[in-house]
Parts: sequence; C-alpha cells; structure tokens
Amino acid sequence: MGHIEMHGVTKRFSSGQEALKEVDVSFEAGSMCFLTGHSGAGKSTFLKLLLRLDTPTRGQILVNGKNVTNLKKSRLPFYRRNIGAVFQDHHLLAGRSVFDNVAVPLRVIGMRERDVGRRVRAALSRVSLLEKERLLPAHLSTGEQQRVGIARAVVNRPKILLADEPTGNLDPELSRDIMALFEQFNQVGTTVIVASHDRELIEGMGKRIIELSGGRVVRDRLLESEVLLDESADLMGSDVA
Amino acid sequence: MSRKDDPFAQEGRSGLVGWGRDHGRVVREAMHHISARLATSLIVWLLVGIALALPAGLYLLQLNLADVGSDWDGRPGLSVYFKVDTPEAELRALAQQLRAEPQVQEVEETSSTQALAAFHAHTGLSDALELLEENPLPASLRAMLVSGATVPDLERLAAIAGKASGVQEVVVEKTWLERVSDITTVVSRLSGVLAVLFGVGALLVTATSVRLAIEARLEELKVQTLVGATERQLRRPFLYFGAIYGAGGALVALMLLSMTLLVVETPLSRLAGSYGATLEFTGFDPAFLLVMLCTGAGLGVAGALVAARQRLHDLEVL
Ligand SMILES: Nc1ncnc2c1ncn2[C@@H]1O[C@H](COP(=O)(O)OP(=O)(O)OP(=O)(O)O)[C@@H](O)[C@H]1O
Ligand SMILES: [Mg+2]
Repeated sequence: MGHIEMHGVTKRFSSGQEALKEVDVSFEAGSMCFLTGHSGAGKSTFLKLLLRLDTPTRGQILVNGKNVTNLKKSRLPFYRRNIGAVFQDHHLLAGRSVFDNVAVPLRVIGMRERDVGRRVRAALSRVSLLEKERLLPAHLSTGEQQRVGIARAVVNRPKILLADEPTGNLDPELSRDIMALFEQFNQVGTTVIVASHDRELIEGMGKRIIELSGGRVVRDRLLESEVLLDESADLMGSDVA
Repeated sequence: MSRKDDPFAQEGRSGLVGWGRDHGRVVREAMHHISARLATSLIVWLLVGIALALPAGLYLLQLNLADVGSDWDGRPGLSVYFKVDTPEAELRALAQQLRAEPQVQEVEETSSTQALAAFHAHTGLSDALELLEENPLPASLRAMLVSGATVPDLERLAAIAGKASGVQEVVVEKTWLERVSDITTVVSRLSGVLAVLFGVGALLVTATSVRLAIEARLEELKVQTLVGATERQLRRPFLYFGAIYGAGGALVALMLLSMTLLVVETPLSRLAGSYGATLEFTGFDPAFLLVMLCTGAGLGVAGALVAARQRLHDLEVL
C-alpha cells in the first residue's frame, strides 16, 4: 500500500504558467523521498496533485495502481483519508485545543469519541506533546505547532504522508528532529514524501532526493546511485531561494 | 506493536454508526455556535419571524373571512316587486316556484293590501294614501337563501324571478356576500403573493446568516476538506443552522400572530356581534403550528443549501 506512480504529469495553470512538465516518477510503497528544487520549481504543485487538491493538465497519477486523476469528486474525500499532509504554515485551528486539532481527521471519519481520545494521545505522544493537549496552538512554540500538524497528519495512520516545507520556519536542530519523526513514520511502512529546499538537511538523511527545476525532474538520486537526468541541472540545482 | 495498533490496520471508515455520530456532534456544535452568537441569532429569528408572520396572518384572515361569509346572519336573498294590479295568483305561483328551489330557505309574500297595511302601521300616513283611489303599493316577495348559498346561486334565482309574469323588478341583496367573497379573494391572493415574496425573503435572510457562519469557519472547513471530509459533511452543520434559524423564526412568527390575535380579538368580536355573527377565530390550531414550524425549518434549510452551494462547492483549500 502507498505505491505511487506519475506518468507524463503536466500542470499548466490558466495563467499559462507550466508548473510541472512531463514528470515521470514512481515511489515504492513504504519508501521515503525528498523533493527539492528552487523556489517556483513546482514542489508544492507536485504535492497538491498527489493530494488531488488540483488535477494535472495531462498525464496520470496512479496510487496503488489506481488512476486517481479521474477520481470522481464524490470519491475524493475517501482517497484523501489515506493521505496525511503537513504544511509549512501548519493550518492549525486557532480556536481549538491541540487535542481537538489532532482529532479533526478522526471525527471526520466518525470515530467513536473514546477511540478518538486513544488515537489522539497516541499521536501526541509520538511527537512528545502529550502534556500540552489542552493548550491552544498560539500558546505553543513554532516547533511544537509543527509537531501538532504532524500528529494530525498521522493520527489516522495514512498510507502516504506528504509534507511541504515542514521545517521552513525552524532552526536546524528542530528541523532535524522533525525529519527524524518523518523517518520514524516511514519505518512503520508509510510512504513519505517531503518537499524541502534545505539542501544540507536532506543530504544528511541518506534518502532518495528528487530535484525539480522549472517543473521538470532534473535529478533523481536513489541513495548511492545518482541518476543525472540533465547535465545542466547541476548549475540550476543550487538553491535560488 | 500489536495488530490493533498497527498503523495500517485500519482504512478510513464511514459507516452508518459513524454517520449518526457525526450528526449528533454537528447538532451540538450548531447549538453551541448559535448560543454563542445569541444576539445575531435573535435578529435572524426576528427577521425570519416577521417575514413568515405576514403571509401566515393573511392566510388566517382569509380563512376566517370565508367563514364569516358562510355564517352571515343577514343572509343574502332577493326581493321581487310586482307590477301594480298583478293578480295575487301570480305572486303565489312565483313564491311556490322559489320555495321548490333547494337554495331557498323561505319565501315571504307581501300582497299589495298587506303592504298598504304595513305602511299604515309604520307611518300613520294613512290620510295621504286615502287620497288615492287605488292602492299604489306593489305586491312583493322576499326569498331568503340557505346559508352556504353562493353568488351564482343567487344570480340564477334572480333570473328565474325576472322571467315570471307580472314581475316589475328583482332586487338582489348580494352586496354583503359579494363583498366578503371579493375581500376573501383579494386577501387570499395577497397572502399567496406575500407568502412567495416573504418566503424568498426568509430564505435569503437565513442564506446570508449561514454564509456568515461559513465564512467564520472557513479555516476549519478547509482543514476538514484536507483530511477527507465530504461536501455533505462540510455543509451538514450549516443545514442545521438553517433549520434552527428557520424553525426559530417560525416560533417568533407564531408568537407575533398570537399577540396580534389577542389585540384584535375584542374589537373583532364586537364588530362581528354587531352583525349578529359570533366570531370564533379558527385556523390557529396544532396543524397550523406544525405547518408553520416545518415551513420555517424547510425555508431555513433551503437558504443554507443556497449558501453552502455558493461557498462550499469549490472551496479553495490551499
Ligand atoms: N494557482 C496557481 N495559478 C497560477 N500559477 C501558479 C499557481 N500555483 C502555482 N503557480 C506557479 O507554478 C509554479 C510552481 O509553483 P510551486 O508553488 O509548485 O513552487 P514551489 O517549488 O513550491 O516553490 P516554493 O519553494 O517557493 O514553495 C510557480 O511559478 C507558481 O507561480
Ligand atoms: Mg512551495
């Protein structure tokens, strides 16, 4: 579960901007991968298409062999329930406690309140925030807020975990902690894809790195064996942002 | 790690039980939301209430006017005046014919002699008439219709009387009946038109307030979409808002109506009494209350659907 394939995926916005061009990649179920590239390279677009918040202009996205590009609108929510998502600006509900924030995905699927409590606490303990469940997000540090966002993303035990710049606002040490968390979730079988332009951080993780540039995959480094798709990519690969 | 705690053991589920639980939670949330904004909610209830009270009040009025029309003590009838010197036999013949009609309750005959006697008795002006050689007063008869007789009945009978021999003039006393029936028609049409206009008004009021409620919770709706809430789930709390706003508005309308009834009851029954009718205000019964509440709730839900359609259908999540 959690196998992803993209075939010739192109995304052109109505403005004419092509955010992704003929992207062909696949992710084994239970693998972990970083997505990098300059600002505007198409990382967020890539993740949005996977979450089906948007549809590709051309191409196919297969998840567990199922084409999700032509998924009916009514089926979309059920698809999304299998995916956890983390964002740089964590999208926490300001008026709700940490507990209630993490509980949102479980209440959406109509879980019994007793089980909700159990699951939320399990998720909070994974991100070491068990003792802060009653606080409002505003009363947490940035790193803690990000961890609440991660707890919310994993609380329903998704097959796929997507993160868009989850360490964007964090100092290097906190960033490493967060990445370690993702690694933990990956170790129990979740397919994890993290977009980040923090080169130093992701190089040190020893995972697959896919580099986008101008909407194209220009480098796909599978651990040791580096596959250079485009010679010129090395120059463009430096972090513009 | 036990099987139960295995992160991938469970699919996202959404059975009937989950559905019921979701509804329960949503009702609690809707109640909470409304009680937290009681001032706004009261204004919405009042607006919806006024919008519903007007057509409902007119409906009740029309219902009772129709009653008055059929209860009317000075029931409609017609008076037939004969030519002077018409033989009494003809008077009797027409009276006989009219009595045979089912809509006619009674026929009163007045021969010219009787008319003269009545004139004497009433006026004491006997001298004036004695100057005349002949009795100048015509024979006449008056037919009273049964209650429930309609204007067309009356017109049909008048036509019969008009064709009878020796008849000079037929006077139809339909004014009151006709007037009441005209008024009833006007009020009924008016309440129909107002029901549509004010119904749309009530719908827009709830739609607007539901829209505001949606705006206030947009962030939450986006997060819910992100984690896989269906559109039905997203709009569910707002449909409850709509229903509560609408039904609350109907309650306000009912209160307004009963207060109005209290205020107008005394003068209205005095008015009715002066025409010999006993006024019993009908229509304000449990069925009416139920219909009002359901209409209110229905309009509220419709308003909420409009708002949800506008705002939630293509929610930009990120
Ligand atoms: N909704 C949109 N409409 C039009 N153009 C868009 C839209 N979303 C993204 N783009 C464009 O698509 C390109 C890729 O954007 P994207 O957000 O995927 O980049 P990114 O790699 O995530 O950048 P960053 O590192 O700054 O977050 C950009 O040029 C952007 O302007
Ligand atoms: Mg981005």
